[in-house]
Amino acid sequence: MDFEVINTTTSDELLKAIAANQNSNFRIGAGFTDLINQLKKQNTEELTIINIAQLKDEAYTQIVEEADGLRIGTLATASDIVDNNFIRENYPVLHQAASKLACTQIRNVATLGGNICNVSPSGDMTASLIALKATCHIVDCNGGERAELLSDFIIGLKKTTLKKNEIIKNITIPMNDHHNIISGYEKVGSRKSMEIAIVSLGYHIQMNNDGTITDAGVSCGAVAPTIPFATSACDFLLGKDIQDLTEADKEEFANKVMEYASPISDVRASEWYRKEVLFNLSQTIFS
Amino acid sequence: MMQITFKINGESITQEVKPALLLIDLIRDHLKLKGTKPGCLEGECGACSVIVDGEAINSCMYLAINVNGKEVITIEGLGDHENPLDNVQEKMVEHGGVQCGFCTPGMVMTTKAYSDKCKKKGITPTREEVKKSLEGNLCRCTGYAKIIDAAEAVYEN
Repeated sequence: MDFEVINTTTSDELLKAIAANQNSNFRIGAGFTDLINQLKKQNTEELTIINIAQLKDEAYTQIVEEADGLRIGTLATASDIVDNNFIRENYPVLHQAASKLACTQIRNVATLGGNICNVSPSGDMTASLIALKATCHIVDCNGGERAELLSDFIIGLKKTTLKKNEIIKNITIPMNDHHNIISGYEKVGSRKSMEIAIVSLGYHIQMNNDGTITDAGVSCGAVAPTIPFATSACDFLLGKDIQDLTEADKEEFANKVMEYASPISDVRASEWYRKEVLFNLSQTIFS
Repeated sequence: MMQITFKINGESITQEVKPALLLIDLIRDHLKLKGTKPGCLEGECGACSVIVDGEAINSCMYLAINVNGKEVITIEGLGDHENPLDNVQEKMVEHGGVQCGFCTPGMVMTTKAYSDKCKKKGITPTREEVKKSLEGNLCRCTGYAKIIDAAEAVYEN
């Protein structure tokens, strides 16, 4: 493994490095926990790594509570997210997803932006952020900025709308309208730790004080080329009273989640097993 | 080549390294500190765990250049002449947590980082939390029970 590295410590240096490499082969490196393993398997002689592990810009590194939600820098690590009390209390789906990701040593360096841009259908933090209707804030090397819903940002297997001259600066999550929430991240694998999900389900459901569901976000991991947001399952819940949900309602909800599942059979699980697990997980989140 | 300055086991050093050099190779081959073990070399086994700025990390998936300005502690950095073993190591000995010993430096460094963090916060973790803290370290000899006993005993007194 041999490659050139451009070290960047400020946002200005980063954008200049991206601009200077538009005609060459480069990758961005932050936590390197996926990248090193990928680079070991390929010819890296013509490759440049733009290293952002030492970038100090707070817009890229900090987790900040804002009036209308939470902003998380692309360089926040999974451990930063696990240790954040505001996330633990208000967005359990994200807290659980980050804490179920790999192991301590990897969580200490693996970044949010890396989890998103690696575009794995089983990306844990990404799946939870899709359920939370997160928005990506993207900058380009000419100073342009744009924002896009994370669920629109991912367009296929290993494909995003990110252009070669762009990088994700941070993501935002809308503030909860109500404190009354059912929120969590279910991850099924063959063991609890160091596991890539066979199936995962992220859910974040808000109720008003009467128990009426006012907002719902559900995402399914590792059952499709992307991590789908289960719109029809969410719409089905809106306006319903959480206490009045019948077994038939829960089954219908699970069936609607299943509309988004088109899993493959691979070494980790069969298509049949993945569908069974997703259906069962979807039914049990209300119990 | 890139120049990096960092602290290792209390000593400040400056090195010229290739940009693609991994931290584990810097530690073992350049600095000749062989206590950090190369296991799977893909972030699964934790044998290469070292502490960087207080956090346990896998040195096989960490670029050496990224320790610039930071403090690295390896298993060699835990003891000195007066106290040859750290408390974590003493507990491993007392509880028989070592068989072949290959995973031991990684287990010790992970436990050291976690217990220092818990002490700072004034927390005594539950046995389940101690187990979770070691989820990134594989052992093929002991069956884990004695390692977990040892890691739990670190919080006694």
